[in-house]
Amino acid sequence: MNIRNLLCTAAFCAVAGLGAGHASAAESQDTIKIALNEWTGQQLSARIAAELLRKMDYKVELVTAGGLPQFTAMAKGELHANPEVWDNSITDIYTNGLASGELVNLGDLGLKPRDGWIYPPYMAELCPGLPSYQALYDCTQAFSNAETFPDGRLIAYPADWGTRSQQLVAALELPFKAVPGGSEGAMIAELKGAIAAKQPIVMMMWEPHWIFSQMDLNWVEWDASDGNCVESEESRGKACGFAQAHVNKIVSASFPDKWPNAAKFMEKYTLTNDEQSRLIFEVDQDHRPIEEVVAEWIDQNKDKWSVWTAP
Amino acid sequence: MPAGMLLVAFALVCVLLSARYPWLVRFPAAAELPVAAAFNMALSAFEARTESAFKLVSRLLTSPMSMVRTALQLTPWSMVVLGFVAMAWRAGGIGFAAFVGASLLYVLGIGLWEQTMNSLALVILSVPISIIIGFGIGYLAFASKRAERLTNPLLDILQTVPAFAYLLPLLLLFGFGPVVGLIASIVFAFPAMVRNTMLGLRNVPSDILEAGEMAGATGRQLFWQVRIPSARYQLLVGVNQTTMAALSMVIIASIIGGTNDIGWTVLSAMRKADFGSSILAGIVIALLAMILDRLTAGFATRAKTHRSQKDIPFRAFAALVAAGLMVMYGASTRFDQLAAWPADWIADPSESLNRGIEALVLFTRPVLDAVKTGMLFFVMLPLKIGLQKVVGPASWGFQPGIWHVVGYVALAVSAASFALLKGRDVAASAILLVAILFYVGLTGLPWPVMVAVVLALGYRLGGLRLVAISGFALGFLLLTGSWQKAMLSVYLGSLAVILSFAIGSALGVLASENETFSRLMRPVNDTMQTMPQFVLLIPVVMLFAIGDFTALIAIIFYAYVPAFRYAEAGLRQVDGRVVEAATSLGTTRLQRLVHVKLPLAIPNLMLGLNQTIVYGIGMLVIAALVGTSDLGQEVYIGLSAGNFGQGMVAGLGMAAIAMLADSFCKAWQRHYRTRIRNG
Repeated sequence: MNIRNLLCTAAFCAVAGLGAGHASAAESQDTIKIALNEWTGQQLSARIAAELLRKMDYKVELVTAGGLPQFTAMAKGELHANPEVWDNSITDIYTNGLASGELVNLGDLGLKPRDGWIYPPYMAELCPGLPSYQALYDCTQAFSNAETFPDGRLIAYPADWGTRSQQLVAALELPFKAVPGGSEGAMIAELKGAIAAKQPIVMMMWEPHWIFSQMDLNWVEWDASDGNCVESEESRGKACGFAQAHVNKIVSASFPDKWPNAAKFMEKYTLTNDEQSRLIFEVDQDHRPIEEVVAEWIDQNKDKWSVWTAP
Repeated sequence: MPAGMLLVAFALVCVLLSARYPWLVRFPAAAELPVAAAFNMALSAFEARTESAFKLVSRLLTSPMSMVRTALQLTPWSMVVLGFVAMAWRAGGIGFAAFVGASLLYVLGIGLWEQTMNSLALVILSVPISIIIGFGIGYLAFASKRAERLTNPLLDILQTVPAFAYLLPLLLLFGFGPVVGLIASIVFAFPAMVRNTMLGLRNVPSDILEAGEMAGATGRQLFWQVRIPSARYQLLVGVNQTTMAALSMVIIASIIGGTNDIGWTVLSAMRKADFGSSILAGIVIALLAMILDRLTAGFATRAKTHRSQKDIPFRAFAALVAAGLMVMYGASTRFDQLAAWPADWIADPSESLNRGIEALVLFTRPVLDAVKTGMLFFVMLPLKIGLQKVVGPASWGFQPGIWHVVGYVALAVSAASFALLKGRDVAASAILLVAILFYVGLTGLPWPVMVAVVLALGYRLGGLRLVAISGFALGFLLLTGSWQKAMLSVYLGSLAVILSFAIGSALGVLASENETFSRLMRPVNDTMQTMPQFVLLIPVVMLFAIGDFTALIAIIFYAYVPAFRYAEAGLRQVDGRVVEAATSLGTTRLQRLVHVKLPLAIPNLMLGLNQTIVYGIGMLVIAALVGTSDLGQEVYIGLSAGNFGQGMVAGLGMAAIAMLADSFCKAWQRHYRTRIRNG
């Protein structure tokens, strides 16, 4: 809590709470540019944030920007905010940007992401020890194909998202080859194809993702661990899988000074896994226009967001 | 000892020594140059100095862009359809007009009108800008020899470096948003106009120019009133190619800055592996490409041929169309259905398409798996990692022992000796080199061997010039540390090119002999070539799973088309009198094809091979989306990591491979022609 919050008079807060708040004199009139990434979940988070900021009388523009190149633009102040940044597939620009202050982290969005290896339920018959990862050592054959023989085949994240599966396979001395997935579309297509033909598959995946609402998928389980997983210290018998990501709200360096109330909103803004998954499902599976789904959420959750938009 | 055998001996020595000296296979990192870092430094220095100028350009383009978008959005669909149909009628007759009408109704019917108009806005804006820039540069290169020497290699690089490699600098210089997509499409499209401008201005017959001079025209009049009109056809060909190039960037443009356009629709569908939606949207792009292609090509041909007597004069036609548009406008203010296509007239068959592909997967996967496994064990993996690593109980069904190696060597040596006995010493060394290659694989082949073979072959086919080109290209790959990834690209690219060329030419030959088949394949080829390649990736992955084989199939689907087209065209162009002469000699149809037509069509087949190489290597970047690990993948990693140097080095590496393959192909064709001429 900073001084400005304490100085906020009761009357002013009440007006703002109705969604009719006016930007104070210190607020810049410039347009806030919010990054729109390639996947539906982020688009929902970004659009909800944009609509609520508009209710606070800000000018907001949604700008399509690739999930990774966007940090270059944010560090330069050409893009101003992204409410949903996953810190598991980030690059030097992001890490260095936070360290140097070119990027500012306004806290956790509230999504609880999960990275791990998944398999369709019918694999339990072909590899009876599942879901424990220890089972994978014994049923390499079941997962093997011409390109990876005699090793098993694991579909990893695309090469440009990093090589965490490859490193884990090496650390556990698992007789598997981690094949880069190429792109999200290729990974989903692979999964759909394998499931349609009931063929063996184990793949790196993340949650929340709409695929979990469409098909039954199980997670590979690891050794019990005490909370934090340090990926570099794993070995067979002491495997904890993956360090789980955080989903952060990132803004450019000048954002808090230029739009103080917007920054306060961004700090308070949260979404849960369930909330987002339901919205994603409506957009991706029910083919409803995303604007409509967002507007509906805003209509139904006034109690929630009126607290955030209060200055 | 002949040079070929010397090469074989060198290769053997290198392979035997490579176990002891690993640097023979893996180029020593210490000798690599920090080219990527240099690119990054150059870019940031350039950026710091010129940023405001570039940002100004991007601001200047923002409002025209949104104006065109809004204008197209607000215009009732009925008016847009009428306008296009009228233009189509003018450019290509009643049949083409009907095609355009049906295509646009398809776009409306599947509910992608808004997205399509947004993409069209991009093309409408980027084409004229590309044409002006292209014409300007083309004129400079025509007027000054020095400018021409600078222009040609730059055009080569611009057209062979994958577009993904220069997206990052465009983003850094011009900022984010739809305008960057526009600029990317201009950068990609203008080289075609430059080439055609140069060609057109230069090829004006000198007697026309002389006539102009004698008529007392000044320099300026000579240019604008004599040279330009005579070059009009070539210039319009340039317009046509520019339009197609701009349209093919629609998807790539939406990766960096699209919202709600057709490229974005394809990309999001692809991300969800929603095959149905992606193919429906992909077909829209293909239709748009065919319409714009035939429109511009139609106007180009009109410029060449004399106007037929039947044509309505332009003014009357324009007045008629204007009247029609007014009526439409009036009608659409009365009837809302004519202004905005009603939602309940929209059908979405994407779910049934998805169910169809899943049924296909279930039905064909066992067979396809067998084909894939065979192809991998017996062709792809030997070329990639070598027989010494592939052969084993799990793959070939036996554990290789010393006798298998001896047998392999004996087989290779006896084949080579047979060739030597026939006096074909080049073939003999080639057999031995291929045997060595398949034993160790492309990734296990010592780089000095590759360099020596390429340089020797270059010298034989193209003399010192080709040696210099090869040395430069290979040196770039080695010194930038791209060698291993480049060999993976060569492995995938060469297999894909060979297969695409074989399949495409065979189908093309068939089409030249069978009219029905030819007519059947024409729309298929058009679609394959104009539909965004991304669309193919999903069904191919569902059928064949992530990996090299899938990448190979995806490349073939795209790269067989030029081989097909050139083969068919070549065979159809064979002089009818020659065929008649052969017929009167009592030859069978097959004999005529093999002994008369095919040899005469070889120059065309070779042109097809050149194009197949360009297409195949261009597709490598897109194939990286199904999980390859070659230079194409590096381009994406560079883009994602914001590392311009890394992406550019990989992109230039791919361009180097493409240009090298192209130069060798052309040198070989020259070599072949002189051999024919000298008997």
